[in-house]
Amino acid sequence: MSADFTLDLRGESCPYPVIYTLDALKDMQKGQILHVVTDCPGSFRNVPEEVVSAGYKLAKEPEKAGQEYLFYIEA
Amino acid sequence: MKTLYNRVFGQYWNPVMTLVVAGIFSAAYFGLTGTVWAVTGEFTRLGGHVVEFFGGDVSGWAYFDLVHLEGSSFARSDGWIVWGMLIGALITVLLANNFKIRKPQQKRRYVQGLIGGAIAGFGARLAMGCNLAAFFTGVPQFSFHSWIFIVATGIGTFMGVKVAKTKWWKGKPKLMKGGPAPVPKREKRIVQPYVGGLIALLYAALIVWFFVTGRPLLGTAAIFGAIFGILIERGQICFTSAFRDLWLTGRTLMAKAIVIAMAVSSLLTILIIANTGMTPITQVASIGTFVGGFLFGLGIVLASSCETGMMYRLMEGQVLYLFVFAGNLIGVTALAFAWDHLGVYNVLVAGGEKLNLIPAMGPGWAIIATLTMLAGCYLFIVIYSKHKRGTLILPKGEKQIVS
Repeated sequence: MSADFTLDLRGESCPYPVIYTLDALKDMQKGQILHVVTDCPGSFRNVPEEVVSAGYKLAKEPEKAGQEYLFYIEA
Repeated sequence: MKTLYNRVFGQYWNPVMTLVVAGIFSAAYFGLTGTVWAVTGEFTRLGGHVVEFFGGDVSGWAYFDLVHLEGSSFARSDGWIVWGMLIGALITVLLANNFKIRKPQQKRRYVQGLIGGAIAGFGARLAMGCNLAAFFTGVPQFSFHSWIFIVATGIGTFMGVKVAKTKWWKGKPKLMKGGPAPVPKREKRIVQPYVGGLIALLYAALIVWFFVTGRPLLGTAAIFGAIFGILIERGQICFTSAFRDLWLTGRTLMAKAIVIAMAVSSLLTILIIANTGMTPITQVASIGTFVGGFLFGLGIVLASSCETGMMYRLMEGQVLYLFVFAGNLIGVTALAFAWDHLGVYNVLVAGGEKLNLIPAMGPGWAIIATLTMLAGCYLFIVIYSKHKRGTLILPKGEKQIVS
């Protein structure tokens, strides 16, 4: 899946993956895709939950690759 | 077999169920040992050992008499709760192949962790407990100080969120245009689960050794410590996020889970007390409880974790939490020093008293009052979340909020 923007948040702990993701989405055009990579275990649950409740869509199911998590979110 | 393994270790457990189980085990631990699941008291003793190691003399510090600084951490049941939590969490992190050295890109996090950890450590000991003894295991002991602590921590975390949201505190990540997305490195051979299994076997042997050599209390603490560590890691239980996420975005998952689990734990504990005549663990309720709870709340948001959550995150390899742990130890030791040397006790705590709902109003009313208070908390969470999510500024107009 091709993304318009990529946020590499590996190493950052909660709640910053959520805050950064929502901040980035706010400045994007509707329909653009944001790709987020995290490795904070808490983010696997709270990033998708928070973007959906803020009104965005997951363009793809979250993916676990080793100790990292990949998200594709549609602004 | 493989699918069962995946169900247990491939995904995180439902936080409500996990916390309810933790609440049941903590009530059982009280029933078996007469003590509660707690960690920061032991942190204070560790802080005392550090001072002693560097040649300091703590024999005159009144706070260390209060928390019984005697012997080594490995000879205390409270010590084995802490070591057991660390080892239990490490075992499941490894079994889930989830260990990784994680270093924050924002270097300011280290300073924030140290400062937040110190404030949280200081506050927790001033209030006589962290999210456990003054909250999750304090409410089910019907100790009134935990009621004050909840309110104060709520206010403290609210202030913490205000700070954490500022630009200079949160920093700015690099937003890269387009792809290709960075390809995560995949491990060729998965070895972590084998290491985890080995540690589990060694730890089980240690527990057997405790029982065989006539130290059942240490063995029991070692078992329960590991269970608590496994539960908080597998459920990703985060007391900090329960408060913080409610203020930040109106997220309620963890907050509701904690309230439900405390209700279950309270019911079990009152049954145990009614049937055995055991004395509930009561701490002093004072101005210090409020000030301490406030500082604790502020500190845990700044540090991104409380003393409990810090433990499993450290085992996941999150380097930030080494700094939080160091901050916690500095904070608890500073409080132990300030307690008598700087008059903290006289100013903030001396006027307080130990107030427990059971002797004060009888067991029936104690449980009714506790459940009513918890129901009130639950209602507050629901209403605040509605208010918060309702006022979220939607970025692109027509989108619907799905909560």
